[in-house]
Amino acid sequence: MKVFEHLPHIDFMKYKGVALAVSWGLIILCFLWIHPWKGANSHVKLGMQFTGGIDMMVAFKGDVHQDDLRTALYNGGVRDAGVVAYTDKPGTSMFSIKVKARKGQDEKDSSAQIKQITDALKHMDAAAASDHRLDLNTESAGVILDSWIKANPMGLPGDETALRMGYEPWVTKVTKAREQFSPMTDYSQLPQDLPPQLRASLVKDYRLGTLSILKNESFSPSISGEWTWKTLQAVFWAMGAILVYVLFRFTLSFSVGGIVALIHDILMALGLFCFFGFEFSVPVVASFLILMGYSMADTIVVFDRIRENSHKPEYRRVDITKLVNDSINQTLSRTILTSLSVLFVAFCLFAWGGHALRDLSFPIFVGVITGTYSSIFIASPVVVYWDHWFGGAEKIKQHAHSH
Amino acid sequence: MTKRSLWRLTVTLLICGMCAYFFIPFAKVRLGLDLQGGVHFELEVQGNEALEADLRDTRDRLQDRLREKGCPDAVLKVDQNQLRAEGIPEDQRPTVEKLLQTFYGYDTTFSPTGFVLTQKAAYQKSLKDDANKRALQIIENRINQFGVAEPEITATGAEGNRIVVELPGVGDTERERIKGLLTTPGRLEQRMVAKQDPTQGRGFPTREKALEFFKGQLPNGTELLPDPLTERGANGEVLPQVQGQPEKIKGWVLVEEKVYVDGADITRADPSVDSQTDQPQINYTLNKKGADDFATLSGIAADEQRLIAIVLDRKIVSTLSCREKILGGSVRITGHFTKADTEDFALKLKSGAMRASMKFLEERAMGPSLGADSIHSGVRAALIGFITIIVFMVFYYKLSGVNAIVALTVNMIVMLGLMGSFHAVITLPGIAGFALTIGMAVDANILIFERIREELGNGKSVAGAIQLGFDKVFWTIVDSHVTQLFAAMLLFIFGTGPVKGFAVTLTVGVCASLFTSIYISRFIYDWILERHPGIKTLSI
Repeated sequence: MKVFEHLPHIDFMKYKGVALAVSWGLIILCFLWIHPWKGANSHVKLGMQFTGGIDMMVAFKGDVHQDDLRTALYNGGVRDAGVVAYTDKPGTSMFSIKVKARKGQDEKDSSAQIKQITDALKHMDAAAASDHRLDLNTESAGVILDSWIKANPMGLPGDETALRMGYEPWVTKVTKAREQFSPMTDYSQLPQDLPPQLRASLVKDYRLGTLSILKNESFSPSISGEWTWKTLQAVFWAMGAILVYVLFRFTLSFSVGGIVALIHDILMALGLFCFFGFEFSVPVVASFLILMGYSMADTIVVFDRIRENSHKPEYRRVDITKLVNDSINQTLSRTILTSLSVLFVAFCLFAWGGHALRDLSFPIFVGVITGTYSSIFIASPVVVYWDHWFGGAEKIKQHAHSH
Repeated sequence: MTKRSLWRLTVTLLICGMCAYFFIPFAKVRLGLDLQGGVHFELEVQGNEALEADLRDTRDRLQDRLREKGCPDAVLKVDQNQLRAEGIPEDQRPTVEKLLQTFYGYDTTFSPTGFVLTQKAAYQKSLKDDANKRALQIIENRINQFGVAEPEITATGAEGNRIVVELPGVGDTERERIKGLLTTPGRLEQRMVAKQDPTQGRGFPTREKALEFFKGQLPNGTELLPDPLTERGANGEVLPQVQGQPEKIKGWVLVEEKVYVDGADITRADPSVDSQTDQPQINYTLNKKGADDFATLSGIAADEQRLIAIVLDRKIVSTLSCREKILGGSVRITGHFTKADTEDFALKLKSGAMRASMKFLEERAMGPSLGADSIHSGVRAALIGFITIIVFMVFYYKLSGVNAIVALTVNMIVMLGLMGSFHAVITLPGIAGFALTIGMAVDANILIFERIREELGNGKSVAGAIQLGFDKVFWTIVDSHVTQLFAAMLLFIFGTGPVKGFAVTLTVGVCASLFTSIYISRFIYDWILERHPGIKTLSI
C-alpha cells in the first residue's frame, strides 16, 4: 500500500506567493481578533499561575446548575469568580472556579477568599447544614486514622504505635473505596471485609457529603510575573538553539526558512488556541515548546532532501524552483505519514485524555498540521526567495559536498 | 548467526535487561502529586526579617557591654536598618571604638554624641544565607515530627531563598496546621513587662490608645506587643482559631525590649494536660545557661512584683507572676490553648527557631480522586494512540511494520528503564509526553521504510536498498531528533513540577528513539538478510 502510486509532480512553488499571503493573512486576522495588546480585555486567557489567584476544581454529586453555583458564590461574598462547568462523568457535576488576585493582595487575603469559597460551597450542600459530622468523602486518611486510634473501636491491645499499625491497613482500604466511587453515595460502598465495629464507627461519626474539592491551588501575584518571564525565556532560548543548529548543519537560507516556518507555526497555534478559548497554563507552554521541536524536525526532512538533490548531476544546471519542487514531491509521502502518526496520538490525547490533557494536546494537534504545511509552503519558498534575491544556490551545493 | 549479529543481539538484550532491572519493581517510579493527590507549597524566606533580628540581638549585646565598659547612659535604638547609639561622652570614644571591633560585620560612623552601626553587604548576605539554611533544616525537622510519609523538601530559587515542600497524601484538615508550622518562625522569648505599663500586663485596648497615653513616645527600651484573643466555647474550652480570618487582639502590652532567655536554650518541650483543670498546657525545660538567666529574670520579677512576658513570634503568649526566684529552669504555660495548639507549639520549640518567617508564593492541593481520574483517562488515551499506530504500521508496512513495533517496544522498555534509573516522577503531562514520544519514535521508522521503498523502486536489490535506506536517512534522523532534544532540554531547565516530568519523558524518549530506530531496526533487517541471503522481495 502506498500514499501515491506514482511519484507526484505537483508544482508547489507556483503557489508560494498565495500560500504566504493566505497563511500570514490568517495569522494577522487571528491576532486582530484576539488583540493581545489590550491587556485584560484581550481574548488571551491566562491561567492563575501567570496572573496570581485561586484555581479550584470541585465536584457535586447529582445535578447542580452552573448559575446556582455562581449565585451561591456571589452571596458568599466572592464577586469576581469565573465558573466553568465540565461534564466528564455522568451523575456528578464538575466545576472549575477561578478568582484572579487583586493587585497587592497577600496570602492572608487569598486564604480568606478560599475560606469564603469553601463556605459558600458548603452552603450548597443541603445535608451539611443540619449534619455537623465530618464528611467521609473529603476528610484525609490521617484524620480517620487518628479518630480510630483515639476511640479504638476494635478494642485492640497495645500502645498508640500498635494501634496505628492495626488500623492503618483499614484506613487505606476505606480511602481506596472512596477513590473508586468518588464520591461515595452510600455506606454500603465501604469495603465488604471492613470489620463491623469500624463500619459502625464510620456510619456514626461521618456523613457522606455531596461535595468534593478536587483541586485547590492558589498563586501569589508576586510569583506570577516570574512565570511569564521564565516561559518567554524558554521559548526564545529554544528558538535560538534551533537556529544555531540548523545554521551549523545547513546554510543561512535554510536556517532563515526554518525559523520563519517555526514562527509561523507558533503564531498559528497561538492564534487558534486563543480563538477556541483555551487557557494558558505552564503545561500548555511546554506543549508549545514540543511543537517547536516537531515543526523543525518536519522541515528538516524536506531540507535534507533539497541538499541531497542539489549535488546530484541531474540538478546541477536546474533552477532552484525545480530542485525544491522535486524534493518536496519526493518526500511528500513520508511528510504526510510522519505527521499522521503524531496526529493520531495528539488526537487521542485531545479526545480521550480528559480536560487537563485537552488544553495541552491542542497546540500539538494544530502544530503538527501547520508544521507539515509550513515545511512545504513557508520554509521552502523562503529558501527559493532567498536564492532569487541573494543567489544562495551555489552555497547550498558547496555546503552539501561536505556531507 | 554471524559474530556481528550475535554481538548486536547481546547488546540489545543487555540493554533491555538492564532497563527492565531498573524499572521493576514499579515502586521505583513515583507518581507526581497531580496523580497521587497531596499538597505542594512554595515558600520564600523573608530574609530581611533575619537582618532585623540580628540588629535587635546586637542591640541587646552591645547595651550590656557598654554598661560594663562605663557608659551607663548610652541609649541604643534600632532605626530601620541601622543601630543608633546616643549619649556617649567624647572621652569614652577610644573604649567604645575598641569594643566595637568585636562586633564584626558592622560599619561604624561616629557622631559627636554617639555612633551609627550598619550591616556590611557581605554580612547581610551571610545572615540571609544562614536564614535560608536554617529555614530548610527546621522545616524538614517540623514536617518529620508532624509525621508525613515521603515528604519532599528542596531549596530552589536563584538566591536559594525558596523552599518547595511536597507532601503526598495530605488532606485539607492537616494542610492548615502544616501551613501554620511552615510559616511561623517559632521564636520564643522570655521578657519582662515594662515597669511603666499602667495596665499591669492586661494591655491597652488599641495601639493608638497606648501611644496616646505615652504622648506618642514610648519609654526607652520598651515596645508594644499584641496579645491575641482566645475564643472560648460554652464549657470554657479554648476554640481553635478560625482559619483565614484576621486575628483578634485582646490588648497591647508594653514590654521591655531586652530578651532575658530565648528559645535556643530550651532542651525539651512537651504538650500535656493540667491534672486539676484539665486544660492543655506546655512544659519546657531550659539548659544550664537558660535556667540561670530565667532565675535572674524571675528574681527581678519577684522582687519588684512585676510580670514575666512569654513572647512567641512577637506576640504575647502568656504573662506570669512570680512569688519567688525560680530555679531549675522548668517552665509551664497554661490556659490559652487547644490540644492541637500545644502539640504544634511544642513541636516548634523542639525544632528550634527560624531566623525569618516565610511567605507563601504558591499553594496547590490536589485531591486523590482527580489524580485517579487523570491517570485513567491519560493512560486510556495513550493506549488508544499506541494501538492505532501499531495497527497502522502493520497494515501499511506489512512485516516491516512488525519490525517497527519491535523497535517501538524496545523503545518503551528503554524509556521506562531510564526513568526508573533516575527515580523520575510520573506526572499527567508526563503520560502525554510518553504517548507523543511513541508517535515521534515511529516517525524515524517511517522515514527509513519510505527511503527503502524508494530505493527498491529505483531498482536496487533488497540488501542494497536497506543499506542505502539507513545510510541516507541517518543524518535526517539525527538532525530532527536533535532539534526536538533542544526543546525538551529547555523545558527541563525552565520547568518545574509536572512540566519537569513532561521534559524528562521527552528527553529520554528522543534518546531511546534514536537508538531503537537506527540500531534495533537495522539489526532486525540484517538478521533477516543473513538468514535468507538471496532474498528477492521485502515485505514493506
